[in-house]
Amino acid sequence: MAGLAFFLVPLAATLEFSLRTAHGHGLAAYRDLVSDPQFWSTLEISLKLAGETAVAALLLLVPTAYWVHLRAPGLRPLVTFVCVLPFVVPPIVLIVGLLDVFRSQTWFVSTPQFLVPGYVVLVLPYVWFSLDSGLRAIDVRTLTDAAQSLGAGRTRALVQVILPSLRASILGAALLTLAIVLGEFTMASLSLFDTFPVYVAYVGQTQATGAAALTIVSFGLLWAAMFCLILVTRGRHRAAVR
Amino acid sequence: MKKVVVLTAGASVAAISAVALAASGSSINPALITAAKKEGKLNTIALPPDWANYGEIMSTFQSKFGIKITNANPDGSSAEENQAVVSLKGQGRAPDVVDDGPAFAIQGAQQGLFAPYKVSTWSTIPASMKDPQGRWVGDYWGVVSFGVNTKVVKDVPKTWADLLKPEYKNMIALNGDPRTSGSALAGVFSAALGNGGSVSNVEPGITFFQQLKQSGNLLPVDATPATIASGQTPITIDWDYLQLSYKKEVAKNGITWQVVIPATGRYGAFYAQAINATAPNTDAAKLWEEFLYSDQGQLLFLKGGTHPARFADLSARGVIPKALLAALPPATSYTNVKFATDAQQTTAKNLVASEWGPKVAGS
Amino acid sequence: MDWLGVVPFLGYATLFLIVPAGAVLFGAVRDGHGGVTLTYVNEIFQAQYLNAFRTSIELSIVTALGGVVLGGLLAYAAVQEGTPHVVRAFVTSFSGVAANFAGVPLAFAFIATLGTVGVVTRWLADLGLNPWDHGFTLFDFWGLAITYLYFQIPLMLLVIAPALDGLRREWREAAESLGASTSQYWLRVALPVLAPSFLGAFLLLFGNAFSAYATAYALTGGMVNLVPTLIGAFITGNVFTDPHLGKALALGMVVVMTVTVLAYGLLNRRASRWTR
Repeated sequence: MAGLAFFLVPLAATLEFSLRTAHGHGLAAYRDLVSDPQFWSTLEISLKLAGETAVAALLLLVPTAYWVHLRAPGLRPLVTFVCVLPFVVPPIVLIVGLLDVFRSQTWFVSTPQFLVPGYVVLVLPYVWFSLDSGLRAIDVRTLTDAAQSLGAGRTRALVQVILPSLRASILGAALLTLAIVLGEFTMASLSLFDTFPVYVAYVGQTQATGAAALTIVSFGLLWAAMFCLILVTRGRHRAAVR
Repeated sequence: MKKVVVLTAGASVAAISAVALAASGSSINPALITAAKKEGKLNTIALPPDWANYGEIMSTFQSKFGIKITNANPDGSSAEENQAVVSLKGQGRAPDVVDDGPAFAIQGAQQGLFAPYKVSTWSTIPASMKDPQGRWVGDYWGVVSFGVNTKVVKDVPKTWADLLKPEYKNMIALNGDPRTSGSALAGVFSAALGNGGSVSNVEPGITFFQQLKQSGNLLPVDATPATIASGQTPITIDWDYLQLSYKKEVAKNGITWQVVIPATGRYGAFYAQAINATAPNTDAAKLWEEFLYSDQGQLLFLKGGTHPARFADLSARGVIPKALLAALPPATSYTNVKFATDAQQTTAKNLVASEWGPKVAGS
Repeated sequence: MDWLGVVPFLGYATLFLIVPAGAVLFGAVRDGHGGVTLTYVNEIFQAQYLNAFRTSIELSIVTALGGVVLGGLLAYAAVQEGTPHVVRAFVTSFSGVAANFAGVPLAFAFIATLGTVGVVTRWLADLGLNPWDHGFTLFDFWGLAITYLYFQIPLMLLVIAPALDGLRREWREAAESLGASTSQYWLRVALPVLAPSFLGAFLLLFGNAFSAYATAYALTGGMVNLVPTLIGAFITGNVFTDPHLGKALALGMVVVMTVTVLAYGLLNRRASRWTR
């Protein structure tokens, strides 16, 4: 329960501050926030980027993780090392390099989707460890063998047998991706894209209660989104098991 | 350029007014206006709407000329501005104009990032605030000041020495770290001037902050409107024009924020406009600068609490509305303001880089 | 043949990570005119920069350990078989958001709580126990560590919960039927099985803390000497115009993380003896 207090009290304090006005307490800060069109436009862009990043990262890493566990456990240290590199490379270095390398592909660098490959790199450590941890917990070899002895090819085994058992890991990875993309500032601001975190940083530097209100709203929105996502997939999971 | 520039506001104008006669606010070349309108867009970067009244400046420009402004990365640093010029070269999204700190303006000019352009009012801008070749030009300047929450702080500090008083324990904050933030570095310069140093020797400034930290008065936190409004940082050290914008923001929370220019140790610095050499909308960029340096643009900067570059010229011709002047701290606060040359800045930065960590940050 | 499966992954990493990063990190050993130099790399061996590395590493270890232990305990409580799905969804979704709650909002949340006029501070002051009067400050190493835990603990929870799920009930029952006590079960069966996952989580948390920048700057403004803050000052600040020292520091970060990963690899090989 002490844990609960530790996590909820700072939020409560922010909430209290966000409700302060010139004459006591009120919702003025929230009203200003919701009527700001930038709030909605930047949120939309970031949510789209988050979804695209999650899909791309999972498409890249789920087969890779499966392969490493099944066929090439010796390659795990290499893959792990590569997946830890994003920590090593500060986002600023990454984005300057990406902008430099892909400068001539204007069709690519001028859309916000340019951020997606960079974001996938950013979430590599989190997604990898989530998937790796989950795959360790299930007996991949036995499950695959069982599926193959029932006539399934390796791909089918992956999709229909392994994936459902990995649901928790995949979900965890997707949630982490969503949170990371909605909090990533450096790369977006240096490539001059107007994403939600850029907006939040700007409000944080220039407004008082507005910044606190935005914190509460974005925290709440994200939490609600994730909560619904989990409940929905959990429902399907239970159906699949039955 | 070894001179230290001392600018005085208000009445001492005789020497400068002779040159001022030619420049008037609204005589922008109509051909330029037409060309700019044809481009129809302007990309700006790192212009926070509440910094030096850029919000009103941008909206006035847009409605006056019908040119749409896209302002990217409003909270960006000068380094990021120059970086964007390099990284986005050739793209339609690249910034057309930048507003850099002087060191970055000079470096950008050396790297060939900027296209030279001398606005029509060029001659009325002090020589120390512009590049002789026209690659960058100072647009406004400000002075380091104290901001004080008068509800929490009954006895308002007036000098640098005052800040060391024990009653201000855990109350004073800078706008960031002097190795990252131009404002915090200026705070060090200003403290140096107020403690027996000079713009060529900021050591006393570093020592002062060391004392301030050891006395427990200095809070390491980065001062923002939120920390001010919540009461966490009742005294901050920052640019006067920023303090004036905080004043408006935290009034929404019922806080009275008073801006005080220290009695001694007054340090000022300017920001500089430059046009991207590979700008996608060059005519719009030129029109933007013409607008900023017209009487109308300069008065809008003044409204934001800064001293526009052509302040001396404007006041000589008597075109500054009394109400605007009254909103700033009195002219006497701006006597004896010292500026630093690029060489002096570099010396100071190196000193801060090697000493701030060990002496103040406690490492 | 075994290599084939990881080719897409390695190809992606090369194109979008290694090449761009390499291009920039080469700047660490280049001077402004295209020649090679070690001046900048040598500079980082000055006392204050080495100190920054030490502080960063200390902070990362402390918060990673704290996150692993406290997050592990919290995760265990959350994934018990009896926990209703809604509670688990509640905890997981909260963790997802909290794990990335950082920067100015997080710093401010803690200032509003434990700052000089924070909510908890004032409550404690009413009880006559104002911590600030007894030398406590939020704006130092330990204040920052506490703040970091706000995102380290949920991160641990998210990463370790699936592994805890995998601790099969059968193992526990088998252990009990062989006469093992709870602590013996944990010491001899559960923890060894979980060890690789715990190690991986520690590495993740360490890296997460080591590269964190925004929270540290917002809360302590550079007063706690950390490497990312310095890199930020040199590469994207408003003061220094020469980014080369920043790139040299970034190179230093690469070295630290490489050593950490190698250590992880060694420990992992020993710990994994139990899972095969």
